[in-house]
Amino acid sequence: MEKIIRIEDLGFDYGEGWVFHKLNLEIEQGDFVAVIGANGAGKSTLLKMLAHVTQPTQGDIYYYGVPVEKFDNWEKIGYVPQNPARQQRDFPISVREVIALGLLNKTSLLHRPNQADRQRLEELLKYFDLQELQHRKIGELSGGQQQRVFLARAMVKQPEILLLDEPATGVDTAAKISLYAMLKRINREQGVTVVMVSHDLDLAADAARNALCLDHGICFWGEVHAALKHHHRHGYFYR
Amino acid sequence: MLEIFEMEFMQRAWIAGMIMAVICPLIGSFLVLRRQSLIGDGLGHIAFAGVAAGALGGYSPVISAAVATVLGALAIERVRSRLAASAEMILAIFFYCGMGLAVVFTSINKEGGFNLGSILFGSLMTVSGSDLLIVAVLGLCTILFVALYYRPLQYLTFDEVSARVAGLPVDKLNMLLAVLTALTVALSMRIVGLLLVSAMMVIPVACALQTAKSFASTILQSIFYGLVSVVLGLVISYYANLAPGGTIVLTETALFIGSIFFGRKKTGLQKPQQHHCHICEEEKANEG
Repeated sequence: MEKIIRIEDLGFDYGEGWVFHKLNLEIEQGDFVAVIGANGAGKSTLLKMLAHVTQPTQGDIYYYGVPVEKFDNWEKIGYVPQNPARQQRDFPISVREVIALGLLNKTSLLHRPNQADRQRLEELLKYFDLQELQHRKIGELSGGQQQRVFLARAMVKQPEILLLDEPATGVDTAAKISLYAMLKRINREQGVTVVMVSHDLDLAADAARNALCLDHGICFWGEVHAALKHHHRHGYFYR
Repeated sequence: MLEIFEMEFMQRAWIAGMIMAVICPLIGSFLVLRRQSLIGDGLGHIAFAGVAAGALGGYSPVISAAVATVLGALAIERVRSRLAASAEMILAIFFYCGMGLAVVFTSINKEGGFNLGSILFGSLMTVSGSDLLIVAVLGLCTILFVALYYRPLQYLTFDEVSARVAGLPVDKLNMLLAVLTALTVALSMRIVGLLLVSAMMVIPVACALQTAKSFASTILQSIFYGLVSVVLGLVISYYANLAPGGTIVLTETALFIGSIFFGRKKTGLQKPQQHHCHICEEEKANEG
C-alpha cells in the first residue's frame, strides 16, 4: 500500500515547552487512524497541522510525497471540524447550503453548482439520510444530525483522505455509534483514509486499524489495541 | 404624480436611500453573522477622526475619512484574524482611539471646517448629483463583489477554519470585505450620516434573522426590510416634517419588533412544545 501521509520529526510548542515532539509516522492509503490521548496533549493541534491551518514548530508533513506547504491538491482532503454549528445555533444556513459549501475550493472560487454538482448533492443527502432535513436550518438539528451534515460536506469532492477533529463531541451515545459505523463504512467500502481525533476509546478501537497515542509529550504509534494498552498503562501515569 | 416624487431633491433622496438600503444590509449580513455588528459604528468613530484630520490639514473630509476608515478596517481585520480571543476588546480600543484622535484634532483646529451634526446624521434631502454618483459606484462595486464571491463569503462567515482547509483565500476576502465596509461608512457619511449607516448594516439583518431559513433568504429579506424602512421612513419624515435619518432608523426598529412576533409565529415557537409520554397517559387513564 502506498504511504500517502508522512510525518517527519514533527513537534509543537506554544512557548511553554514541547506539547509533543519528534513525531515520526507514515500512514498508508486506506488506513483508519485514531488519534487518542489526554486533553491538552496536542491531538487537535496535530490535526490542524495536517489541515495546514496551524504551522508546526519543527518537522514536516508530506501528502503523496509533497510537503504540505507546497501541496495544492486539497480536493483530495476532506475536513470535519469540531461542530461549528454548536457555537452558532441561530446561524441562518440550511443543511443543503452547508453541504454545497464542500463544492468550493481554491480553483473553484467562482464556480456555480452545475447539474453534476446537484446530482452529487442529492446522492449525499440520500447516503447520509438527510433528504428530509435538507431545508431545515443547521442549528435546528441534533448534534448527531449536524455531524452527518459536516461529514457529507467533507465527502462532496470524493476525497481520498478524511481528517476529523473530535467528530462525536456533544453527540449522544446512539448517534455516536451510528457516526462511527458510517465512518467505518466510508473507510472500508470507499477506501477513504481516515485520520480522526477521538475521546471515545471503545468506539475508536472498533473502527480504527492504527492509533497514535499522545500523552504529555510521549507518542506511541502502532496497531490500535497496542496503542490503547499503552494509553491505559502509561497515559494516566504521566499525568 | 405625488408631490413627494416631483421635487428634484426628493428624487435624489429616494435614489440615495434605495441604494443605501441595498448596500448596507448586503455587507451587514456578513458582519452581523460574524458577530461584528458594531464594526460599522466603530468605523464611524475612525471616520470622525479622519474628517477632523482632513479639516486640520485642509483636505477633503470625504477623502480623509475614507483613508482613515480603510486603514482602520484593515488594522482591525488583522487583529481579528490573529487574536480572535481578545478581538472584541482590541476593537473597542481602536474605536476609542479614533474618538480620542477626533477630539484632539478638533481642539487643535481653531478654524472649524466641518459640521459635526451633518457627519453624524447626514442629510438625505441635500444629496447632490456628485454624492449620488459616488454612492451609485460604491453600490455597483458592492453588488459585484458579493455576487462574484457570494459562496466563498458564505463559507468563511459560517466556518472560517474549514474554508481555509479548502484552500479559499480567506485573508484576501476578509480584507476586501473590510475595505468595502470602510468605504461604505466613509462615502455615505455625508448623505445618510454615520449613525444611519451603521443602523442600516445591522437592523434589517436582525429582522431577516427572525424570519429567514437559509443564508440566501437572509440576505434577500434583509434588503427587503431595508427598502421598506427607507420608503416608509422617507414618506413619514416628509409629511410629518421629521429628520429622515432618524425616522428611517425608528421605522427599522419597529419592523424589527414586528419581525420578532412574525418569526415566532412562523416557526411555532410562541408556545413550548407539548411532549406526550404514552406510559404516563396510560397511568393517568388507569387512575381515572
